[in-house]
Amino acid sequence: MIGIGMEGSANKLGVGIMLHPNDGSPPRVLANVRHTYVSPPGEGFLPKDTARHHRSWVVKLVKKALRDAGVSVKDVDCICYTKGPGMGAPLQSVAVAARMLSLLWGKELVGVNHCVGHIEMGRLITGSTNPVVLYVSGGNTQVIAYSSQRYRIFGETLDIAVGNCLDRFARTLHISNDPAPGYNIEQLAKKGNKLIELPYTVKGMDCSFSGILAAIDGLAASHGLGGQGKDDESNDDDDKPTRADLCFSLQENIFSMLVEITERAMAHVGSKEVLIVGGVGCNERLQDMMGIMARDRGGSIHATDERFCIDNGIMIAQAGMLAYKTGLQTPLKESTCTQRFRTDDVFVKWRD
Amino acid sequence: MSALETINLSHLPASWPVHVALYKDVKNAPFLRQQLISGNSDFEYALIDASMILTRTHVLSAVFRAINDYTNARLKSRNIHSEIVFSLSPANNIADSFRKFGITDSTKDLLVVKVSVTPEITHESVATHLGASIEGSAVPFNDETLVATSDVAKIKKAYKLGGLAPTPAKTNDTKNHERQRLETALLGAIALRGAL
Amino acid sequence: MTEYKPPPLPSPFTHTTPPPTLLTQGAEAHLYKTTYLTPTTPAALKIRPSKPYRHPILDRRLTRQRILQEARCLSKLVREGVSVPAILALDWEPQGQEEKDALEGRAGGAWLLMEWVEGLVVRVVLERWEGWMKRNTQMGEEQRKGEESRVRYLLRRIGHVVGGLHKAGVVHGDLTTSNLMLRPTAAGSSVEEDGGNPSMEGEVVLIDFGLAGHSNQDEDRAVDLYVLERAFGSTHPRTEPFFDELLQGYHEAYRGAVSTLKRLEEVRMRGRKRSMIG
Repeated sequence: MIGIGMEGSANKLGVGIMLHPNDGSPPRVLANVRHTYVSPPGEGFLPKDTARHHRSWVVKLVKKALRDAGVSVKDVDCICYTKGPGMGAPLQSVAVAARMLSLLWGKELVGVNHCVGHIEMGRLITGSTNPVVLYVSGGNTQVIAYSSQRYRIFGETLDIAVGNCLDRFARTLHISNDPAPGYNIEQLAKKGNKLIELPYTVKGMDCSFSGILAAIDGLAASHGLGGQGKDDESNDDDDKPTRADLCFSLQENIFSMLVEITERAMAHVGSKEVLIVGGVGCNERLQDMMGIMARDRGGSIHATDERFCIDNGIMIAQAGMLAYKTGLQTPLKESTCTQRFRTDDVFVKWRD
Repeated sequence: MSALETINLSHLPASWPVHVALYKDVKNAPFLRQQLISGNSDFEYALIDASMILTRTHVLSAVFRAINDYTNARLKSRNIHSEIVFSLSPANNIADSFRKFGITDSTKDLLVVKVSVTPEITHESVATHLGASIEGSAVPFNDETLVATSDVAKIKKAYKLGGLAPTPAKTNDTKNHERQRLETALLGAIALRGAL
Repeated sequence: MTEYKPPPLPSPFTHTTPPPTLLTQGAEAHLYKTTYLTPTTPAALKIRPSKPYRHPILDRRLTRQRILQEARCLSKLVREGVSVPAILALDWEPQGQEEKDALEGRAGGAWLLMEWVEGLVVRVVLERWEGWMKRNTQMGEEQRKGEESRVRYLLRRIGHVVGGLHKAGVVHGDLTTSNLMLRPTAAGSSVEEDGGNPSMEGEVVLIDFGLAGHSNQDEDRAVDLYVLERAFGSTHPRTEPFFDELLQGYHEAYRGAVSTLKRLEEVRMRGRKRSMIG
């Protein structure tokens, strides 16, 4: 069985083609292409610009994916697309493209929950069977564990997503959005070493980030570090933090919070495995910290690289095909998309 | 033989036993206090006014805290014995803790504590020195004796526990019950001293 | 995968003979049984180990903050006469045990010694009772009523204690039947079980204040009650019809109950925005 996956819930447009061999051997990624809409430093990506980007690239990406995979349209069984959650306009552009292909080629549609896509792709790539999942991206922050046919949310952000917090601080510092603001914060943080005190906002298995963002934005402003600056500045003043120190402190603080809520969920469900998915999951410092925690519990950590951590089409194909095999299809009439779509709304028929 | 008792407290190194003696009707309190003030190292003891001690557990909790602070190298006062007196206090003022819990010129009943922080300090050495230095009658260091020597009102005042909420006592032994509740509150105050 | 090994005990428990016995290990803390001052005085030792994944400065700050928060709540409740374990001793900043801790300026975690509470957690008492009820379906109406009134009385006493807690201005943060204990009263009350049917006599004691805090908000108190209500509902379905008895007891012990109970209605209506099934 071959499925196409189409993803465009934020500023990445991804198309992937997945093969699930009929002999039951492991699924194979035939193609996984992506194009990212990058906004100028100091600016976020606006829905209408992002949607325009997706519309103008989607045909090119589908063609390239088919070429990379070396398959023809007739080999394709279903078209999987992101139903939500995400930004409205970009989601719509991709849903429209998926519908068009479905009508044009006469293929079934499968609407996929973006978060479930991340989880299923992470499970496939890492071979981790029943992990506690930390899903961290620009739009989501959730601690998830599977229980009786649902991915249950044990903890989540009470306000903005962790990736959003990082992205917005990158804007404050006018750090480049290419390849990603979070990546550039991570690089700058490596040069920092002074830990600045920030609010630490964990409540049970939930956390919040807006207060931390306000605090660090305030620090940047009060030390005159906002706006365009030189990242390799040296600093003789012991009391004054550098831009790198702020990035370092922000990461140390918020990643500690994420590891803490993940550990609490692991203790709660008695799991020793942890899987990190979502764009922020690429961060090596987060992976290191999570690894230390998991090792101390006698467990292990699973993470994927940027091909699969960052939004992509292949994860949509993977989750969609698992559902499709259990008989799920999305009729044309219902092939809508939605900005809000909770992970635990999905009935996970394909797992025990 | 004197009534010096030597105690090994749980968790603390076995090589560091604690020697405790309780005296009633002490005649030479001003002399003893003077030795402390002049820094006579022969008299390096925790000299405690026994009226401020509710129970064995009360004073031993202060000893435990002082030794733990000592082993973690964070004494606030001069030595481990002054730290024991200070550790009885719920507040951070060292001079004040000595006024409230330490020996005064008018101290009648005296509790003496010495910790074997060096091997030279033994039960015998402490017993001999105390026997020669303290003019008072040695009594057993136990809760029965302390019931007679302790001044509950003064203790409550020092720990600011005047308004300790009474509990509906389920037992007939109300007096004992209240004493236990007070002791519990004292231990909490000792443990939490210095927690901002 | 490496075998799990609890982190080394902080000072002074490295000297303890016999070594403390590990009872439970949560995400944050490890609970041991040991002694206090004398070998015959049992005590519960809660250790919050240092978390090596955290920056040493942040680690020190959080570990200290949390053990103190817990200790302050307990100390306050003891003074207010609420049944909780007494604090015996505390160290929020013991020296690290390993050389690298010292180099990093990392503390050796933090610890809290508490009074040992004898008895069973209410979860176990109710599980045994439910099991016994299941095995004795043929009991007469009178006996069934008698059984129910025992449970009602227990729930009412739990309500009294929770009311006392809230009256003292503290919220627990994790009220479940695992964090309520039934301590046999000294006055010869029997812990013996009648053919597997547990005694429900004794004093209700609240334990584990790891997530507790000071609060005077109806919302926080209502969430405490809501969490407890759900714990009864999910863990002890047979007792659920009697939860009103608990609220009645709560009302008797705490004058501010009216507005808290009103808020509880709202919290119930709002429901949990997510399911928390573990």
